Amino acid sequence: MWEKKPILLLLLATAAILVGTIITVVLPFAWVNTEADRIETVTPYTALQQEGRDIYIREGCNNCHTQTVRPLVAEVLRYGDYSKSGEFVYDRPFLWGSKRTGPDLARLGGKYPDAWHYKHMASPRAMVPKTNMPDYGWLSANQLDPTMIKRKMDVLGFPYTSDELYSLADKNEMDALVAYMQKLGSDIPWRNAAATTIVGNLKNPYADSDHSTLEEWEPLYEENCEACHGEHFEGDIGPELDGASMEDTELFEIIYNGVPDNGMPPFAGLGADKVWQVVTFVKYYNQGEDH
Amino acid sequence: MKSTEYNYDIVRSFVNWSVLWGLVAVLVGVIVSFQMVDPRLNFPPYLTFGRLRPIHTNAGIYGWGVGVIFATFIYMVQRLCRTPLWSPKLARFQLWFFNATIIASAVTLLMGYTTSKEYHEMEWPIDVMVVILWVVFALNIIMTIIKRREEHMYISLWYMMASLVGVAILYLVNAAAVPVSLFKSYSAFAGTNDANVHWWFGHNAVAMALTAPPLAMFYYFLPKSTGVPIYSHRLSIIAFWSLLFMYLWTGAHHLLWTPVPDWIQTLAMGFSVMLIAPSWGSVINGYLSMNGQWHQMRENYLVKYLILGITFYGLQTIQGPMQAIRTFSAFIHYTDWVPAHIHMGTMGWVSMICFASIYYLVPRIYGKKLFSIPLANLQFWLILVGQLTWSFSLWIAGVLQAGMWTAMNPDGSLTYTFMETMVEMYPYWWIRSIGGLIYFVGVVVFIYNLVMTVRHGEIASTEAAAEGRA
Amino acid sequence: MDLASILYLGVTFGLFVIFVLIVLRTYSKKRKDEGEIAKYRMLDDE
Repeated sequence: MWEKKPILLLLLATAAILVGTIITVVLPFAWVNTEADRIETVTPYTALQQEGRDIYIREGCNNCHTQTVRPLVAEVLRYGDYSKSGEFVYDRPFLWGSKRTGPDLARLGGKYPDAWHYKHMASPRAMVPKTNMPDYGWLSANQLDPTMIKRKMDVLGFPYTSDELYSLADKNEMDALVAYMQKLGSDIPWRNAAATTIVGNLKNPYADSDHSTLEEWEPLYEENCEACHGEHFEGDIGPELDGASMEDTELFEIIYNGVPDNGMPPFAGLGADKVWQVVTFVKYYNQGEDH
Repeated sequence: MKSTEYNYDIVRSFVNWSVLWGLVAVLVGVIVSFQMVDPRLNFPPYLTFGRLRPIHTNAGIYGWGVGVIFATFIYMVQRLCRTPLWSPKLARFQLWFFNATIIASAVTLLMGYTTSKEYHEMEWPIDVMVVILWVVFALNIIMTIIKRREEHMYISLWYMMASLVGVAILYLVNAAAVPVSLFKSYSAFAGTNDANVHWWFGHNAVAMALTAPPLAMFYYFLPKSTGVPIYSHRLSIIAFWSLLFMYLWTGAHHLLWTPVPDWIQTLAMGFSVMLIAPSWGSVINGYLSMNGQWHQMRENYLVKYLILGITFYGLQTIQGPMQAIRTFSAFIHYTDWVPAHIHMGTMGWVSMICFASIYYLVPRIYGKKLFSIPLANLQFWLILVGQLTWSFSLWIAGVLQAGMWTAMNPDGSLTYTFMETMVEMYPYWWIRSIGGLIYFVGVVVFIYNLVMTVRHGEIASTEAAAEGRA
Repeated sequence: MDLASILYLGVTFGLFVIFVLIVLRTYSKKRKDEGEIAKYRMLDDE
């Protein structure tokens, strides 16, 4: 039989290959990206966002960053709500990635203000001292090409206006990339749902700490706050911090839940204990120096 | 039949070029590994990690891996069929078109023309080139088999034919895209569908390009090196059909816990575990072939490469299914554990077999004795130590990273920020780079040995050259 | 049982039967020599 007939062997081999292929690769098209997993609020990329996505692809960002949050406790705590199939219907190609040399970006949209991204892309180590991410400041020097972007949008069948395309001429590749990052994972209103409601009376367990204890918590401030609020609370991307003017509990709520509309990310992931340490550091460190 | 009838000329060319691309792949690998420990080694726009890493992987798979496949298949098919290659002209065209494709891939990837799909990054014009290349190659091999003068088809021919159709199906489906320009296209599939199609490709490229062909080589070059036949041809046949049937279900084990439907993930998990059987069918067949011949591990450097190679295949096909289980995947996926696994397969299993095959071929196709067996032994230890250093450092790193990612405080918050987990990786990444460097030195020794063999090797008949193994 | 389950079990069982048939055929006594001859022939090609 097939032992001596190469053509028959080739056909049988093809058949063996096709069984699993049809069941696990062809069949799913009947469910995936249909009404079954559709999400009403998910919208196509704008021209600027799509161009940003193509720059993300061109620079191979997917080699170090994934874009899918798994439904696992630690993962949802770290990155946000787990990813849903319907969120990716406009993704050609998919960019889920396979390795997290850097953090997952599926829920990056709205986490930081635009200014944070511009500064971070231009000089990652200015914001995150020990990161190994390369500098991408050079993207700012490259203007966008509206003609090419129009062709792309036409191929993808995404809606756009002529005003939108016209405005692209003034934009550069960094603008596009930041616009894309701000869109990531923000089509569903997960941030509101994820915010923690604080009930009962809050009390700062560290209110009576002395200055030397405060210094132990300085690294927490440096890692999480300094990039936006400056080395000496003077402010930069975020406002100047005048801890003394605020109640401990008020500070706690802002740091714990963030102020999404003003670009202040939530730091609930640090845990209440560390957030109280940051609160105490921000509020009393300067006072301690004064005394 | 006289061996002069066989076309060795083209085998020589493919060996030479594949070895060159192998060197490039390892060199770029070492470079990107250093970029991970020191970001100042990125030189935008062209020489950044994001653009170079696909060049490392594609040079390794398509330049080195597929190059050796071309060389060895063309050699094996002639010997096993006892007939010259069907069309030497087509093979000559294939050689130059192969090099043109590899060069075009490297240049366009540096320019940033990429689809972003892992191991399939090249844009659509290069996809077209790859398809032409593969059709020409497949036609030549299949026609040679049809015109064979040996009635019985040895198992290596089976694996070769499976590889020919398998790669064709996978590559064509996953390449489906709508072009915007010469250098930009959008995938024909979107989101979750694209992910599912892509990892069906990704995992089965491993099956059809990096498992079936090395198995074809192993089944051929092991008995040829030891002088005794494989343990069981019938066992190899059962393993063949099982492997071919089961592999295609397993792609989604790369997508556990993602939005891909659960039942696809579960099938992938189940079939991955079942794959242990056919994989170990070949491993055991290899080991049992050594019955009464184990002394050759000491005396015959080729056997050393081949048996270590199949041992790494065995380890790889235990570790792989383990990783394909949901609970284990939840822990180690996305960490540095995964590249450690991949590199045991590529540096340990596939490349060990490729090195052995080329060491077997070169004396025969050039009619010269190998320049230095001590150097071949030195290379063996260099690549073994290099690869183990590489993989062990990142296995440890991966477990550490996974543990830190999932560590939680008693109040239910995360213990570590992402950066706290990343800085812990630096020492392991340094060790990995050193492992890569050792491996690179091994490849340099290999090439030196080959060049010296061709240039200054003692002229011998092919039979006498074969004696050189003692 | 609904149609889907019957189909599911039927396909699974059918595939298993094919596997068993391949094993039985490959290892049948009648084909013992035939099945192993290729491994000797490949060594004898010089």
